[in-house]
Amino acid sequence: MNTVSPSRREFLKTTSSGFGYLAFAALAHQQALHGNPAAGPLMPKQSHFPARAKHVIFLCMQGAPSHVDTFDYKPKLVADAGKQAPSAAGRYGRATLMPSQWKFSQHGRSGMWISELWPNLAKHADDLCMLNSMATDLPAHPQAFTQLHTGTTQFVRPSLGAWTLYGLGTQNQNLPGFVTINPPGNATRTFGSAFLPAIYQGTKVGGPTIPGLPAAAARRFGGGTEQATVANIKNNRFTTEAQRTQLDLVQSLNQSAMQQSGGVSAEVEGVIESYELAFRMQAEVPKVMDLSKETEATKALYGIGDGDTDAFGKQCLMARKFVEAGVRFIEITHGNWDHHFNLKAGLERNCNQVDKPVAGLLADLKSRGLLKDTLVIWGGEFGRTPHSQGDDGRDHNNKGFSMWMAGGGVKGGMNYGMTDDYGYEAILNKMHIHDWHATVLALLGLDHERLTYRYAGRDFRLTDVYGTVAKEIII
Amino acid sequence: MKTLLFFFMLSASVASQAADATESAHAGIPADQLNFFEKNIRPVLVESCYKCHSESQKVKGGLTLDTKQAMQLGGESGHPGVTPGNLAESTIYEAMTWKNDDMQMPPKQKLPDDVIANFKKWIEMGAPDPRETTVVNSNGGKRVIDMDEGRKHWAFQKPVKQTPPTVKTEGWAKTDIDKFVLAGMEAKGLHPVRDADRPTLIRRIAFDLTGLPPTPDEVRTFVADQSPDAVKRVVDMYLDSERYGERWARHWLDVARYAESSGKETNVLYPHAWRYRDYVVESFKKDKPYDQFLKEQIAGDLMKSENKRDQAEKIVATGFLAIGSKGHNQRDRRQFAMDLVDEQIDAMSQSMLGLTLACARCHDHKFDPVTQRDYYALAGIFLSSETLYGTYSQLQNANPSTLIEIDRAANQIASLAKLTPAEVAQLKSRYAEASATATKIREEVRSQSMASRDSQSAANFLRVRSSFDRADSMKADMDLFYDDGAPRTLAMGVLDRTTPVNTPILVRGDIKQPGDIVPRGLVEVLCAKGEPLNISPQSGSGRLDLAYWIASKDNPLTARVMANRVWLKLMGSGLVTTPDNFGTMGQKPSHPELLDYLAVSFMENGWSVKKLVREIMMSRAYQTGSVHDAANYAVDPDNKYHWRMSQRRLDAEEIRDAMLAVSGVINYYPVDGSPVARAGEGRTGIIEVLREVNSNPQTYRSIYLPIIRDQIPEFLSVFDFPDASLVNGDRETTNVPSQSLFLMNNGQVQGMADAFAQRIAKFEGDPQERLSYAYQLAFGREPTAGEKQAISNFWTRFPQEAAKNKSIPKDKIQGMALSAFCQGLFASAEFRYLN
Repeated sequence: MNTVSPSRREFLKTTSSGFGYLAFAALAHQQALHGNPAAGPLMPKQSHFPARAKHVIFLCMQGAPSHVDTFDYKPKLVADAGKQAPSAAGRYGRATLMPSQWKFSQHGRSGMWISELWPNLAKHADDLCMLNSMATDLPAHPQAFTQLHTGTTQFVRPSLGAWTLYGLGTQNQNLPGFVTINPPGNATRTFGSAFLPAIYQGTKVGGPTIPGLPAAAARRFGGGTEQATVANIKNNRFTTEAQRTQLDLVQSLNQSAMQQSGGVSAEVEGVIESYELAFRMQAEVPKVMDLSKETEATKALYGIGDGDTDAFGKQCLMARKFVEAGVRFIEITHGNWDHHFNLKAGLERNCNQVDKPVAGLLADLKSRGLLKDTLVIWGGEFGRTPHSQGDDGRDHNNKGFSMWMAGGGVKGGMNYGMTDDYGYEAILNKMHIHDWHATVLALLGLDHERLTYRYAGRDFRLTDVYGTVAKEIII
Repeated sequence: MKTLLFFFMLSASVASQAADATESAHAGIPADQLNFFEKNIRPVLVESCYKCHSESQKVKGGLTLDTKQAMQLGGESGHPGVTPGNLAESTIYEAMTWKNDDMQMPPKQKLPDDVIANFKKWIEMGAPDPRETTVVNSNGGKRVIDMDEGRKHWAFQKPVKQTPPTVKTEGWAKTDIDKFVLAGMEAKGLHPVRDADRPTLIRRIAFDLTGLPPTPDEVRTFVADQSPDAVKRVVDMYLDSERYGERWARHWLDVARYAESSGKETNVLYPHAWRYRDYVVESFKKDKPYDQFLKEQIAGDLMKSENKRDQAEKIVATGFLAIGSKGHNQRDRRQFAMDLVDEQIDAMSQSMLGLTLACARCHDHKFDPVTQRDYYALAGIFLSSETLYGTYSQLQNANPSTLIEIDRAANQIASLAKLTPAEVAQLKSRYAEASATATKIREEVRSQSMASRDSQSAANFLRVRSSFDRADSMKADMDLFYDDGAPRTLAMGVLDRTTPVNTPILVRGDIKQPGDIVPRGLVEVLCAKGEPLNISPQSGSGRLDLAYWIASKDNPLTARVMANRVWLKLMGSGLVTTPDNFGTMGQKPSHPELLDYLAVSFMENGWSVKKLVREIMMSRAYQTGSVHDAANYAVDPDNKYHWRMSQRRLDAEEIRDAMLAVSGVINYYPVDGSPVARAGEGRTGIIEVLREVNSNPQTYRSIYLPIIRDQIPEFLSVFDFPDASLVNGDRETTNVPSQSLFLMNNGQVQGMADAFAQRIAKFEGDPQERLSYAYQLAFGREPTAGEKQAISNFWTRFPQEAAKNKSIPKDKIQGMALSAFCQGLFASAEFRYLN
């Protein structure tokens, strides 16, 4: 991203054809005449400093995965099993320390401790930058989920993806720059642009259209994406050629409108441009989302075709294809990690659904040389308590939990920060969500204190007045 | 960040003085104590604290630690940083120990215990400190607001009646407004472009006043009317139209952040919010004086009323304060109350005063002369009122409230149909049953052994909770009706509490850190010097005083802010381009005299919005064309000086309503109320509403579509409907591909294109006449020769291409082509841009 953005004219040359090209050529000519090289709001922008990562894939685990059973190895929790929890007692009864039911072992040259729930991912231990000291403000799902995405629990603010797109633009003007796959219902704030211009909001792929409907609920809990698509991307009436004929009519009328307003109208130009982009998106989006041309080996790598891993595997593969196509920010949501009870069966099921696809994604990105430019992030809104809730569950814990990042300029095989002996609270290099946001932006070449937007009379930031970049984890 | 800039400015002067200050003044500090400081304290300060708390680096929280005085003074919290010999009064020490969850310093890593012990020892020995210097700012890092200075800001001075300037160009200016505008142009060397032609002008006037295109008949009549009164006649016709209220109400609903659900995490429905919407529509339609309109929204419940009906209207008006977004699952009631008040202050101040007063919740306003005292004085007023928004207790709703029941005699319309007494009885028995079941389940859980209760705790909790949630939802249903089956009239709004309260200032807005108690009162900078600010004890909550103070000719902001809003909607951009912020961070007016002129004449005309609208529309400035002019463009590309009319993208509602009107299917008389009201309270209702709206195409005007936060109907959201949780006086108009995709492929658009096509097909006449009719309907004009050529090309090519799809029967091709053509007109730029 520290390269100079392609000029508008070059862009027009490379992306236009047919009628649209003529319209564009006329447009570019006018702009040259008026000395107004106005770049579109999504054109690639210069970052504040050289970027480590050009793309982000955020694997968002909604419901708060248990860190003490996955990535935060606590031998003392096993040793002190059954003892009274030193931390605050659970909300629903007397709480005692509950050891993890899964064995941890060391992996890779780094010797990173990972539980047996992640046999495939563990092979990539040396690529993972494990953040063991995460913290967020509140132990309540909706607020914490919102904070994870926007930095605040309270106000309507732009999401991480929207800020990223606003800061950097995107490389492929035929595709949306921020894609969110399978977002949960009633969480538009996780991909919304709030006061940023609407063009920076995430484009939904799949996910429930009507929250609460049974089918939607099923999809949300790790279901399929067979019908997943971008809204209105397909015309169900006309062939492409017939639609092009219709669009040519529309563009002729637009040209006529332009002439009537004296030959110059930024607004009409915008309309003309927008139709051509949309028309190209119609062709491009299904291509990117079409997984049928992938080899069987690739599909197998992601666990596509196996019942448990099929759905998430497809989403991960789609994410890789979006990265290849130049999309800036991709988020995939995987739900149902809220294991108040049924921890054993529930966590095993979830990890099983995610482990192979994620490992496949890392391997695939690496073999294509994409991992170095792509920041892959895994994590949820908070973690779970070291003490038990009932016989087989853990409660919410916002004071300490784990996330990991890989590729995109982070150090692999590293554990950053730590929690106390039981995994209750971050005690070393605590990384609040604000710090994490600052660090993600830094990896993208953006200074979180300079990435501002003026709204209601003040300059807003993703990190508000907080945020410290964890320089130690950046290569 | 601006704050940093401020501190850097400050630090420059401090630094120069610090250089003068010698550290030789060690007199009085024994050598061993001095040694202790140098060895154990200073290195730690330099190493661990200065990065964020020194004049030369950063001044976080207003605290600097690089001089003795500043360190003792402390930061914005108002508590001393170090008090010699007194650990309890030394917040720095407290912060170091990490005992207070909210203040742990240094933030990333606690200092080693021996270091903390050294600080303890040092403070106990009297905090000897050789770093003497004069402290420039006796308030520590805290910004001092000078109100006299603050009142000098242009917007905080009352608008003054202005005489129109003299202009050089003769013959152009028709009204006083024109003289102001023309003088502005002349000063910049600009010249007005030619007037808009008649068809363009009536299209502009019709959309601006009604949100709908003019009918072909209206265009014909206007074009033929050569009398000098033609424009006035057509403006008055639309101003008197039923449709005017619907269009202009929507502008206010944008700044009133109107919606029918709580938004945020739980997003519970507000099934009675629509009454406020209808109130706004009615107010604009009747041209209710704007000062009255504002007063009713803040304190309608406390105002005198003529009769029950009038009283009902005034109570519904206070819905303004109740419809904001809320985090219903907040478990801390006090926090919820403060967040609610904050939302009210934010909405009220931005919409009515063009000020961001809510910025002063955690600290004095960073830019405007507004203090935390101002904020908490207002907060006291709102805390002394009870905000009633409905909803019932559920797992994710810890903050339900009742609603205001309107007297039956007020004869208000209802959203629900009347029930039979039998149905009421059924509702009652269902509730009784559900309630009994819930109690039984709770008893069962209570009777379980301790051990099994522990292991089943979460499951038990959910079982009990959901059974009570079910009973509560039944009760909510039941409470909607009288025993005879007639629906009750319920409204959202506010009422005074019996005993008013004053609130303490909350340090950093934290409810756990109360400071001094502030009497309820008004915003100091907007009051004349020496004018009493506090609410008299006889005034109850003080809401009525607040209402009269805002809606007053003496308030420098109120009339200006509204005049600017009206100007913005008609002229494309505001005289102040930040319509919701007239503070020091807002933009200065491009034409300050014109803004004052409009504000004063608005007040003199009895705060009549219609008169203001008419005055602007009758100006030649409003009636100019929108054509490009290279010379003007070179000087003023943004058209700040109104040398032409800016092209305006229609709002989402106008685009949809225009399609409905042009295709001839628009329904001006929807069922009373809202689909949200019929779905009932609670969360499952959202599914019902969306099902109702998505399953059958709605043909009523867009203002009556359900506005559920975060679930805005696609047609609206795709065309930049604003975030319904935020005050928004100026909508965005983006051109994004999702809009193009929507117009090309969406079923609703296709359906309206089909209806339009049928209307054209039924029109009696030859193909040329039909084409002309379609053009008249969609654009209010005839097609040009070039357009006819393009259309003719389309008619040759499209059927050929469409016929290649063998699955389409031959006899359907023509109909499909006509619909594709009509959709093409909808999709064209001209359809959604006004010239």
